[in-house]
Amino acid sequence: MLQHTEQNPRLLALQRKALIVGVAGIAVLLGTSLMAGIDNFFQSYLYAFIFWNGLALGCLSALMLHHMVAGRWGFMIQRILEAGARNLLFTAVLILPILFVGMKYLYPWVPEPFAELHGIAAAKHKAEGLMVPVLNISWYNQWFFMVRAAIYFAVWIFLMLRLTGLSHKLDQTGDQTIIGRFRTTSAQGLVMYVITMTFAACDWGMSLEPEWFSTIYGPLYIVGQGLGTLALSVIILNKIADDKPHAPVIKTDYFHHIGSLMTGFVVLWTYIQFSQFLITYSGNLPEEIPWYIHRQGNFFAIISVLLMIFHFFLPLFILLQRRVKRARRGLLLMAKWILIARFTDVFWIIVPAFHPNGEGYGPVAFIMSVAALAGVGGFWVFMFVRNLNKYPLLPLNDDRMNESLGIGPFAAHHQEAAEHVV
Amino acid sequence: MADITRRLNDIDPPVPLLEGGHDYETLTDRISEIVDTKPHPKLWLILFLPASLGVMLLLIALTKLFVVGVGIWGIRIPVGWGWDIINFVWWIGIGHAGTLISAILLLFMQDWRTSINRFAEAMTLFAVMCAGMYPIIHMGRPWVAYFILPYPNSMALWPQFRSPLAWDVFAISTYFSVSLLFWYTGLVPDFATMRDRAKNKFARYVFAIASLGWRGSARHWSRYEMAYLLLAGLSTPLVVSVHSIISFDFAVGIIPGWHTTIFPPYFVAGAVYAGFAMVLILAIPIRHLYNLKDIITMKHIDLMAIVMLVTGLVVFYGYIMEAFFAWYSNSFWERAMLVHRSMGYYAWSYWALIFCNGLVPQFLWFKKVRQSTFWLFVISIIVSIGMWLERYVIIVTSLARDFLPTAWGNYHGTKWDVMTFIGTIGFFTFMFLLFVRFIPMISSFELKMLLEKNKHKGQAH
Repeated sequence: MLQHTEQNPRLLALQRKALIVGVAGIAVLLGTSLMAGIDNFFQSYLYAFIFWNGLALGCLSALMLHHMVAGRWGFMIQRILEAGARNLLFTAVLILPILFVGMKYLYPWVPEPFAELHGIAAAKHKAEGLMVPVLNISWYNQWFFMVRAAIYFAVWIFLMLRLTGLSHKLDQTGDQTIIGRFRTTSAQGLVMYVITMTFAACDWGMSLEPEWFSTIYGPLYIVGQGLGTLALSVIILNKIADDKPHAPVIKTDYFHHIGSLMTGFVVLWTYIQFSQFLITYSGNLPEEIPWYIHRQGNFFAIISVLLMIFHFFLPLFILLQRRVKRARRGLLLMAKWILIARFTDVFWIIVPAFHPNGEGYGPVAFIMSVAALAGVGGFWVFMFVRNLNKYPLLPLNDDRMNESLGIGPFAAHHQEAAEHVV
Repeated sequence: MADITRRLNDIDPPVPLLEGGHDYETLTDRISEIVDTKPHPKLWLILFLPASLGVMLLLIALTKLFVVGVGIWGIRIPVGWGWDIINFVWWIGIGHAGTLISAILLLFMQDWRTSINRFAEAMTLFAVMCAGMYPIIHMGRPWVAYFILPYPNSMALWPQFRSPLAWDVFAISTYFSVSLLFWYTGLVPDFATMRDRAKNKFARYVFAIASLGWRGSARHWSRYEMAYLLLAGLSTPLVVSVHSIISFDFAVGIIPGWHTTIFPPYFVAGAVYAGFAMVLILAIPIRHLYNLKDIITMKHIDLMAIVMLVTGLVVFYGYIMEAFFAWYSNSFWERAMLVHRSMGYYAWSYWALIFCNGLVPQFLWFKKVRQSTFWLFVISIIVSIGMWLERYVIIVTSLARDFLPTAWGNYHGTKWDVMTFIGTIGFFTFMFLLFVRFIPMISSFELKMLLEKNKHKGQAH
């Protein structure tokens, strides 16, 4: 019943569009880079990498969370999450230019930074202070940085391969003992993901401004990735919900649940961002407060205000309404909105590091940021749809799903209970 | 293909949330008889005596405090916050599990909350009572405690609104009043049941007043459901806000060890962690003592242990972040704090904390441990101690070594600190035992709803 053979035309259309956007984005990025220089190229590229890699990771973590709680709505998006997580192979390639070419254009602590990045002296001083015991090299060492990146990706790709592999195996064999393995892998995987993501955020994002540190920085990424993933899931689910295999089993309730989760994550994001701000602002210490000052001037001031309004107040109050969450179009609109808010938030975290206070950040730089995001994103979505189309859009033999939906071997048992299920 | 393999239900059979084949009548009897008919277990009296002695001890300690002043405690510059604030944070943290169970799990439609929400909420109330006592007696002149409330007065005196200490006043008073309302609202239908069952005229009279004229009409139920849901919505932000604000008490300052951005979520997770440990400490003896094993099942115990494991991991993550970023900051003071905590005068407390809160809960990964009430009880006690130590480490070690080495000084609680703390434990136990004796400790009508739901859903939930 859940088998499907033909590919969903809406997904194929999305894939075509994505490819066009991707090619156009990269072309614009490369074109503008010829004018603006290679350092600007890498700065925009890093922003795009952090966002899209984060989305793949968000899919991985949401997949693990789904295997832990196994809500009915989770099965509807399980394959979307798996396809997104598979993109980790793609983003692992994306990081290579940064590691092998781009670092000196990005991180002021690299011994020979190319650009006149702010605070180079402070960064050098800090690199000397961060000697790792035993290894006797600085935490801010290019090779060590690469090794760490390799470890993060190894852990993530291992988890992704294991979970998608098990999922494929369950489709083929129907061996229900796999579900227990899903759970163990996910429980341990979530722990590993949180730790690696924290350090990855610290490496790739925080060390752009080496004097700065904040203990909540990792959770800020983790929650943002989760929120972006929910938005992505709603958008894709909308495209496939009316066709086989989703059409017979999908319910408004599932959209409602994802909408509620989205509301929760909007609040959680605000909670973390605001906590960090309030504590840093109250302390007003010279090593911490510059991070906020860098995000206070010119263009970035506008972004800061926009984030408060469009990443918190409006989405929260709109999403709190039941009818928005239950209306497919309403929720789709909010998902797109939130995805744009997520672009903006990552932009606000990363880009001001290169242009403190918005100095030197002009229209060309802005076009480059957008082009990088669109370019990398286009290819990301292209690969994502490719992954999605390779496997059935719903799990085939998962008893958890079949039982809760009353299909497959559970169809008869479900009939009598159907009218009482809330 | 799938048919030849075993079904998931054979491999991992679902565990019901209600055992023993109950129907409406047996459920009502089971829960109400504890209050109205059955002779109370002797152990209750045996526990009640030391609890009452604890209350006496509290009264003695407080009298001495009011007569002499806060000098009887060990606090002095630089450690101006000692056991009193540690205990305050400890108690308020414990309360959080009750609110989480009653509000958040309700909104998430988690049926397993039903057997444990009532006494977890009572635990919250009594814990908040104990907690609320401390800031007031910490003031030294508790008779002018009302100064902390913003009201127009002839002295033109206002609280400092920029201080998280002033936010505490609002956070805690709101928390207490909403929790009380929530708890009471949930009790109304059960009070009516007690009223209808009461044989003693006095008891009937009291329960009649408490049940606010509840007759169980459809209109009553519909309004009740709406009110309960709204109160759950109101309580949900409180789970997070109260302990976040308490974390701000520390984090907005610039003391190394206090000023760190992870504090809000880490405090909230710690609160839920300590709270679930306390719920287990209460639930495990209660289900033995009153033979409620069919109502508070191993499934409940298992789920609570999982919540404890998850929040424990978040807390452990907080410790790791604090240590890593103290090093990463490359700031002299942050690193000095790390060295002092882990290798200095108070190192014992830090490593005991890591042991209690970081290592011991890792046993909860194993299902065997989660299925053993004995080991869970032991782990819960260790976690409670660990959470007390956490506040000790945060408050004392940070204050004892601030920026000026000439102003450093070690701190120890005095016997009066200990007496006050034991006194509040006594008070908490005292109140809880009275609650168990006189008020239905499990929500019987919600269990009946669960029974109804399960009947229609079969085994699936």
